[in-house]
Amino acid sequence: MTDIFKLSVPGKPEYVGTVRMAISCLANNVGFDIEAIEDIKVAVSEACTNAICHGKDNNGIFEVFCEMEKGKLVVSVVDQAGGYDKNKYCEPCLSLPKEGGLGLFIIRSLMDEVDIFTELGAGTKIKMVKYAR
Amino acid sequence: MALQIQKSFDQEENQWNIFPAGEVDIATAPAFRVALDEAFREKPGNMTLHFDDLGYMDSTGLGVIIGAYGRMKENGYRIVLSNPQENIQKLLHITSLDKIFCPDNCEK
Repeated sequence: MTDIFKLSVPGKPEYVGTVRMAISCLANNVGFDIEAIEDIKVAVSEACTNAICHGKDNNGIFEVFCEMEKGKLVVSVVDQAGGYDKNKYCEPCLSLPKEGGLGLFIIRSLMDEVDIFTELGAGTKIKMVKYAR
Repeated sequence: MALQIQKSFDQEENQWNIFPAGEVDIATAPAFRVALDEAFREKPGNMTLHFDDLGYMDSTGLGVIIGAYGRMKENGYRIVLSNPQENIQKLLHITSLDKIFCPDNCEK
C-alpha cells in the first residue's frame, strides 16, 4: 500500500523552504539516512526552483506528490509553467561554469531515477525516485 | 530558514571575510548576491566565504558564487570557500566546483 502526500504550492520562492522541510520529515519517516535526506532536499528544491523560474508569472501553482513505500520515496514536481523544448537542453559545461543550468544536472546526480515529462505550451513533470540503502 | 550574512574586511590580508548563516535557496539567493556585490563594490579585494554555519545551499547559491567569481576574476581577485558542511561539499564535488572554489580541498 502506497501512501501519497500531496502539496499544492504557490509558485513563489518563499515556499520552497516549506516544501523542503515537509519532504525532509517524510523522508525521515521512510527511514532514509541523513545523507540521503540531504540529497532529497536538494533535488526537490531544484525541481521547485525550476517550476517557479520557468513560470510566466509568480502566481502559478505547482504540485508536489510524494509516494512513500517501504524503503522508497517517489517525488513528482508538476507545474503548468508552459514546458520547454527538450532538444534545447544542454548539459552544463563543468569546466566553464555558468550561473544557471545546474538544476537538472544536480537532480540527476543525487537521485536514483529521474524522469522528465514536458510538453511545450503545457507544463513539466519531474519524477524522482530515491531508494533507502 | 532565513539567511544572515556578516562581513568584515581584513586590512592586513586585503580580503573580505563573509559569514553566511542559515540557508541559501531561491528565496534567499538574491540577498546573498547583493551582499557579495556590495562588499566588492565597497572595497575590491579577495573574498573568503566562511561556510561553517551555512546549513543548506543549492544551485541558486552556486549561481551567485559563480557570478561573483566571474566578476572578481576579471579584476584579478579570487574567491574561496572555507569549511562547507558535508551536504554542501557533496554539491561542490558533483558539480566539480570544488576544484575552483576550494583550492586547498573543501573536505575537513
